[in-house]
Amino acid sequence: MDWTPLILSAKLALWTMLLIPVLASPMASLLAFGRFKGKSLLDAVVTLPMVMPPTVLGFALLVVMGPRGYLGGLWEDVTGDRLVFSFSGILIASMVFNLPFAVQPLRASLEKLDPRLLESAAVLGLSPLATFFRIVLPNCLGGLAAASILVFAHSLGEFGVILMVGGSIPGQTQVASVAIFEAVEALRFDDAFRMSAALIPVCFAVLLIINKINARRT
Amino acid sequence: MKRICSLMLVLCLLIPSGAFAADLFIAQAANFTPVLKEIIPLFEKASGLKVEATYASTGKLYGQIVNDAPYDMLMAADEKRPNKLYADGLAEKPFVYAKGQVVLWSNDKNFCGDDWKATVVNPAVKRVSIANTETAPYGTSSMKAMQAVGIWDKVQPKLVFGQSISQAFQFASTGSADAGFCAYSSVFTEVGKKGCFAVVDEAPPVIQAACVLKSAPHPEAAAKFVKFLSTPEVQALKIKYGYK
Repeated sequence: MDWTPLILSAKLALWTMLLIPVLASPMASLLAFGRFKGKSLLDAVVTLPMVMPPTVLGFALLVVMGPRGYLGGLWEDVTGDRLVFSFSGILIASMVFNLPFAVQPLRASLEKLDPRLLESAAVLGLSPLATFFRIVLPNCLGGLAAASILVFAHSLGEFGVILMVGGSIPGQTQVASVAIFEAVEALRFDDAFRMSAALIPVCFAVLLIINKINARRT
Repeated sequence: MKRICSLMLVLCLLIPSGAFAADLFIAQAANFTPVLKEIIPLFEKASGLKVEATYASTGKLYGQIVNDAPYDMLMAADEKRPNKLYADGLAEKPFVYAKGQVVLWSNDKNFCGDDWKATVVNPAVKRVSIANTETAPYGTSSMKAMQAVGIWDKVQPKLVFGQSISQAFQFASTGSADAGFCAYSSVFTEVGKKGCFAVVDEAPPVIQAACVLKSAPHPEAAAKFVKFLSTPEVQALKIKYGYK
C-alpha cells in the first residue's frame, strides 16, 4: 500500500491553506468595505468557482495553464518548466478553486467588525498598519481560522479540477482522491478502502474544529 | 424578471423524465464513441428502436454495472471486464466487436512524418500523455509498445496519465502534452484531423469485447443490436475509423 498520494494531498492542502490568505484577504476587504461600481460583478467572479462544475473549471484551467494558454506560456518562458501536470500547477488550480471558500468567511468576519472600533483607533492616532495588526486581525481570527480550515478540508477532497490539470503523475500530481478513483477502477478495492478510511478521521476532526470556532464566536 | 424565473423553474419541474426513455441502453467504452455515434442512427433506422448510449471508461462502466446500473449491454475496451461479468454470472457470453490500434498523436505539425519512437524521445517533447496503464487497455498496450522497443524507462518521466484514452487525447489536443498515445479512432474526430499521427505498430491490438447483461431491461432489442454489429455497414464503419 502506497501512502504517497495521501501525503501529497496533505502537502497540497497545507500549501493552499498557507498561500490563500494572500489572495483572499484583499478580495475580502474589497468586498466588505469597498464602495465601487462593479462590486457585485467582482463578488460573482470570486464566487464562480464555487458553483461551476469542477471539471468545467478544470478544463478552463487546463487551457489557460497549458503551454499555449497565456498563464502557462508565461510560466514556461520564465521558469522553463511546464505548469500543467506539475505540483505548482495543481497548487494554483487549488487556490482558484478554493478562493470563494476563503473569501466568504473572511468577508463575513470583516463585515461584523464594529466600525466604532476603527474610528476610535483613528481618533487615538493609530497608524493603518497598527490598526490592522492590533484591531482588525485579532477581531477576525475566527474568520481566518474558519477559512483556513475549510480550505484545508476542501483541498484534501478535491478531485475534478486536479483530474483535469494534474495528469495523475505519482508523487507529483496523483493526489489521494485521484488515487482512490484509480484504485476503484482497477478493482483494487482494499487499497481504495484503506485510503478512504485514512481520510475520514481527518475530515471529521476538521469539522469538529470548525464547530468549536463557530461556538466560540457566538 | 422574477416572474420569468419562477416560470422557468416551474417548467423545469414539469419536463417529463419519461421523454428520455429508450428501447436500448448501451454502456460504451469511450474510445469507440465516434463509431457508435454513426452506428446508432443506422440501427435506429433499420429497427425502429430508440437507442441511448453512455460513453465512459470501461472501468467506470463496469463499476456501475456491478452496482445494478440499468444498461442492456456493455461494449468494453478490453476482454477482461466482459469476461469477469460472464464469470460472475452477470452477463451472457462475451464476443469481440472490434480490434483497436494505438497511434501517437500530436498537435504539432513538426512531428508529422516522424517515426513515433523518434517523437517520444525527442527532447522538444516534454510531456507525453498516455491512458492509465493499469485500468485502460490502450494505456497497457502503449506501455507494452514502449517496453518492446526498450524506451519505457527513458520516456516514463515525461508521461502524464489520463483516466481513459479520451483524457489522454484531451491532454494532447489542448497542447498541454506535446504528444499522446491515443486510439486510432480519435484521429478521425474534428480536433484529431488538425494534428498528425503515427501508427504504433509495436502496440498489441486492443481487443474489445461486448456482452449483453443478464439484468438487461430490453434483451430482445439487445439481441437485435448484437446481430446488427456484424452487418457489412458496421464493418465498413469500423474500418473507416481505424478498427479491425
